[in-house]
Amino acid sequence: MAPTVRKDKGVRLSSDLVLGLYSDLLTELWEIVSALIGEAILAFLFTLSIRKLGDKHPFLHSLQVSEEGISWEKLKEDCRTIAPDEIHRGFQGLINQLSHLFSALADGVINKELFPKVFPKVKEAERIISQQ
Amino acid sequence: MRLIFKNLNVLRSTINAISTSVEIKEIVESAGNNLPHLFDFSSFGIFWKEDLLLFLYQEESCPSSFSQEAVKNMINVFSVLGEEAVDAKRVTLHIEKRKLKGKQGTMDRKATLKSHLTLPLAVEGEILGCLSVNSDQPNAFDAQDLQFLSVIGYQMAASLKHFQRFSSIKNMATYDTLTGLYNRRYFEERFEVEAQKSFHSGLPLSLVMVDIDHFKKVNDTFGHTEGDQILCKISSLLKNSVRRKDTVARYGGEEFILILPEAALQQSFVIAERIRQLVENTLFEVGRVQVNLTLSMGISNFPSHRVKSKEELIKMADQALYDAKRGGRNKVCIFTEKSSQWTVPT
Repeated sequence: MAPTVRKDKGVRLSSDLVLGLYSDLLTELWEIVSALIGEAILAFLFTLSIRKLGDKHPFLHSLQVSEEGISWEKLKEDCRTIAPDEIHRGFQGLINQLSHLFSALADGVINKELFPKVFPKVKEAERIISQQ
Repeated sequence: MRLIFKNLNVLRSTINAISTSVEIKEIVESAGNNLPHLFDFSSFGIFWKEDLLLFLYQEESCPSSFSQEAVKNMINVFSVLGEEAVDAKRVTLHIEKRKLKGKQGTMDRKATLKSHLTLPLAVEGEILGCLSVNSDQPNAFDAQDLQFLSVIGYQMAASLKHFQRFSSIKNMATYDTLTGLYNRRYFEERFEVEAQKSFHSGLPLSLVMVDIDHFKKVNDTFGHTEGDQILCKISSLLKNSVRRKDTVARYGGEEFILILPEAALQQSFVIAERIRQLVENTLFEVGRVQVNLTLSMGISNFPSHRVKSKEELIKMADQALYDAKRGGRNKVCIFTEKSSQWTVPT
């Protein structure tokens, strides 16, 4: 099945594009945070967040996270039929939830490292999506 | 650079100490001894979910309000991570005070928790607890502290997981899964120790073999689930009717065995008779009906019965139990050379 597209403003925004944006973002987040707290704890936090958000954004259950990292194959396959907006909201929720957990665990230590590198990209992703 | 090497060395010895620890307290102590060389903190805590234990190592001048705040924070963070609320009242707190702030430094009596690092102790996707370093200073910790703590936390989680597995294997080898009493394997081990002690010292040792009368009827009439519940209730009665130093074990099926160290024949008869009467006077609920049950018991004793081995003591208790059954059940019999008697010994 072809990727879902939105043509309301004459610009095509595919699920693949949104997924690509968040895939880069989360990969970078993984690299930064795993260096601080280790892969085992980070994988645990990802799983916890996905479980929490899974009811609202079921496609997140297709995101496979282990100590080895994030595997995107299944998600990319499953997301082809999902609207880009929904993918965006799901990942936005995931990043917010992770950020909330990082604050609860380590005050601002993790977010201080994360903010300069990752959050401008979150804003950029939000900007791209909102312009469509 | 020299500081980094120093810290790495401390980290290495901390990990070594944790990985060679075999008891939870030892694991916590290993971390508690080494962490002050890596961080400046006011308290360091470990919460162990399984037993609801919270160990807190803290600066000796730490006010109790700070400790309470640190405990509350750890439990809150764990509740978020573990997705389950933890009742703080049920948590057993172990506090150890140490001089952490150097010779001159003391904490203000009104000090409050200003910063912390708390990490889950997670292994294979399972959360075992959490560990935390706390400070009365704002922004006391940085990214490097977090890295060190995560390495220690990872090792600690792995060691605690080993400890948990080991405990569970040890439990399986020690306890009867249905009743929670000691199992036959543990009984053999314990009896060997107690018999050696008695044979060597001459101190008395009694053995009481217990059997529930007509238990097969309970199973046949009400089913095995109800039968199992009766076994659990009687196990609990047995456990609560003996002294602290006694051992109660499930010997098999509906048979139990009691080791009564330093109990003379007269004393062991009194204990057994009390248990017999207690069961006789208890109404057991089976489904919607209440039933009466009785016990038969056989007693053997060293040195009253001239035994040369622990096996003989078991055989004698078994023989006495057989006599109690043959004598009409609901009796306590003491082994005798010719035949067992069920009167109070003189």
